[in-house]
Amino acid sequence: MNAPIRRTAWVILGTFLALILATTWIQAIAGPGYRDDPRNPRLTAWRVGRERGAIITADAVVTARSDPHPTDPQTFTRVYPEQDRYAHTVGFTSVLFGSRGLERTRQNDLVSHRDATISGVLNVILGGDPRPRGLRLTIDDALQQAAIDALAGQRGSIIAVDPATGAVLASVSTPGYDPNTLIGPDAGPVGTELENDPDQPLLHRTINATYPPGSTFKVITAAAALEAGIAGPSTEFPDPVELELPGTTATIHNYDDDVCVDGRAVTLEDAFVRSCNTTLAALGMEIGADALTATAEAFGFNSVIPYELPVVASPMPDAATYADDPAAAAQNALGQRDVRATPMQMALVAAAVANEGNIMIPFVVADVFTHDGRIESSTQPTLWRRAISPASAAVLSDMMEKAVISGTGHNAAVPDLRVAGKTGTAEVTGSAPDVWFIGFAPVDPEPGERRIALAVLLENGGPAGETASGGSVAAPIAAKLFEAYLR
Amino acid sequence: MTRNTEAMLVLAGATLASLGAAMVGFAEGRWLDATVALTFVSFALAFGSIHVAFRMWAPNANPLLLPIATFLAAIGSTEILRLDPDLAALQRWWLVLAGAAAAGTVWLLRSSGIAVLRRYRYLFLSAATVLLLLPLLPASWPIYGAVVNGSRLWVRIDLPLAGRVLSFQPGEIAKVLLTIFLASYLADRSEAMSTVSRKVGPFQIPEPRHLGPIVVAAGAAFVVLIYQRDLGASLLLFALFVGMLYAATGRGFYLGTGLFLVTIAGGAAYAMFDHVRVRISAWIHPFADYTGAGYQTAQGLFAMGSGSLTGSGVGLGRPDLIPAATTDFIFAAVAEELGLAGSVAIIVAYAFLVTVGFGIALRSRDRFRKYLAAGLTILIGVQSFLIIAGIVRLFPITGITLPFMSYGGSSLLASALIVALLGRISHEEQT
Repeated sequence: MNAPIRRTAWVILGTFLALILATTWIQAIAGPGYRDDPRNPRLTAWRVGRERGAIITADAVVTARSDPHPTDPQTFTRVYPEQDRYAHTVGFTSVLFGSRGLERTRQNDLVSHRDATISGVLNVILGGDPRPRGLRLTIDDALQQAAIDALAGQRGSIIAVDPATGAVLASVSTPGYDPNTLIGPDAGPVGTELENDPDQPLLHRTINATYPPGSTFKVITAAAALEAGIAGPSTEFPDPVELELPGTTATIHNYDDDVCVDGRAVTLEDAFVRSCNTTLAALGMEIGADALTATAEAFGFNSVIPYELPVVASPMPDAATYADDPAAAAQNALGQRDVRATPMQMALVAAAVANEGNIMIPFVVADVFTHDGRIESSTQPTLWRRAISPASAAVLSDMMEKAVISGTGHNAAVPDLRVAGKTGTAEVTGSAPDVWFIGFAPVDPEPGERRIALAVLLENGGPAGETASGGSVAAPIAAKLFEAYLR
Repeated sequence: MTRNTEAMLVLAGATLASLGAAMVGFAEGRWLDATVALTFVSFALAFGSIHVAFRMWAPNANPLLLPIATFLAAIGSTEILRLDPDLAALQRWWLVLAGAAAAGTVWLLRSSGIAVLRRYRYLFLSAATVLLLLPLLPASWPIYGAVVNGSRLWVRIDLPLAGRVLSFQPGEIAKVLLTIFLASYLADRSEAMSTVSRKVGPFQIPEPRHLGPIVVAAGAAFVVLIYQRDLGASLLLFALFVGMLYAATGRGFYLGTGLFLVTIAGGAAYAMFDHVRVRISAWIHPFADYTGAGYQTAQGLFAMGSGSLTGSGVGLGRPDLIPAATTDFIFAAVAEELGLAGSVAIIVAYAFLVTVGFGIALRSRDRFRKYLAAGLTILIGVQSFLIIAGIVRLFPITGITLPFMSYGGSSLLASALIVALLGRISHEEQT
């Protein structure tokens, strides 16, 4: 009389086997499909609803914070009180568009450490703090505002760094966007509009767009000549009205279609100060592809700058591609043709000259602090590369200072401040030139004195359009920034 | 010897529960707090008192029942604490009360033995009937029925002095009483039912008067379905009756008739009731009406899928997004936070419990004890299958509790009583 009971038992155990199979199917095989289903509220809840740490500037302006939901204390609303002012650097975390900026790259600090990993559990058991960390940026809010004001209504970028440490002091890319409008599940139309905007407000121009550097690249050309011993500041060059490019019918002219000095002879220093294309192009041919590309690469071209946000490399053509093409060497030496640079790359060129030829790794997060405001870790300044010798840097610094005192960069001058810099007016086929200024100040810092190196870029001439030059449009902006930060 | 092993395992289960409480605290960024100690104390009191009762009055009881129950309750209480600390505090009281009731049952049966229950079967039948009908009491009475989530399952009593409302689900207790009745009835009749038959055409069918119980069963289940709108309880009752009839008589006729009646009743219910149709379509296409009927099933699937193999970790998932996560859908909540590893462990634990239960039935020499053990085991097995199957979409959602794990005093009380009865039955077989 046990047989039916035994059979009943087998049937019930069989249904349990079916449960195990169904559960395995749902969790192991179909699992990722359910997990990643856009209707799964966990996606939103995890990305957007978790508490994240605050992000503040060096002078304690809050750029991102998490407010607890009024009724559900488990979820939080991310708020960016500064709206578009820090959008590209701080980024956002959104239901529909994922995460960008520091919100993405420093996610591990910004979200809580309450995870199920052995280290996470051990951390809590050992008394560690699982609450989210905050970030203090290196950015100076007043300088940031000066940069924002200077670029108002324009497409462009400003990046300023401390040449001695690599700390980013201001980073602006315009036009910007308000990250608050992209957070929620209803942000689709706003996001589509931003994505389709021809002015590309979502593009982080400072690190993700490259432009012909134009005459600002002459710093690198001059550095190549100094490093290779081809020329010094007083080495004399011919001073023609135009320079014929071998193997082509093209010629190179100076900015005003005239001689550089007097039509007879010109020193490298004078040519640099006046930004003479004929002289530097001839010098470029003399330097040759190998040394030119090698020097540019020493400054960081063709490398990804190890910043806290993803940076595109600034392309410098491989030497082999133009070793037998002096015309290309001449045009590349002027920062045209195949050379492209991000504004951050050009700011690092100026910083290298300011810092005895050494480029520090740029960083924007100064400190990671705990929920109760204690600093947990600080970014230590780290050398990225030695671009040129201190001697060459000193010569370049001197030439760049003269360019501001008496040359194309005179609009960058600030009374009672020793400013060094180089302008750039890069020809862009079919539209107004992209205008640049790169530079630094003060040239001779007292011990402990603040220093700043920067790059200013305005696409297509900025407000001046076709008539724009780096000296007329970008240099005055640099002067304002020097004043804002150092005065 | 076995009692000492049981004591160690129950202690381990209580430790597991308090470790769970500690993990919930860690996940919320707190250090150890009183909840951890309270959880341990409530488990030690609840399962410890059953253990002591076994030790004193049923020393040969099967030593595996209590540890499995403790394990399941530990996982359940962790998840309830993680979802709703207030409910968890209540659940600790229910645990202690259920443990005391189970220990009291073992004490009551200490000298008379389980056989005493056999004598009072009609008392149990009447009590079960009254309990099943209680939720139909009008709302104006001091004891009244209440509709929760569309099902009239609850009875509420206003406590005038405390100013509170006491709620319970009488059906949970009724099903245990009905099992006792049925075991007793079948112990007297099964021999006749399994041998006496009448030939109709090619079929051997039982005497018509032996069809009485199954008709009663179908009727009771259908009444529950219609008046209380409770698909789960009605199916459970029906499966219990048919399962016990088959287990006692070994006649496939009862199974066949049972399946036939279920099909008829199911078809009728589908044709007659909107809420049944909605539930069936939500079962087959949960995403077709995602924001409506399919929402709960879909949330369960999202939870389980997000849990994946190892789960999010206790306190780190979002089972709070699942409707009824502390009761009907606690399996999905555990599956999210403990992953496939946790969900399979739970299913295996129920399978283990069912195996132990049927083992007790198979070893019993006395018919009543045998049928009672089988019936109680069927109850646990079918109930846990039905609700988990609803969550993993092997079956429509039935809305019943998961024994030992779901929040709820009535459910815990019933589950603890089942453990006490099974323990007593296994004890009597050993002596």
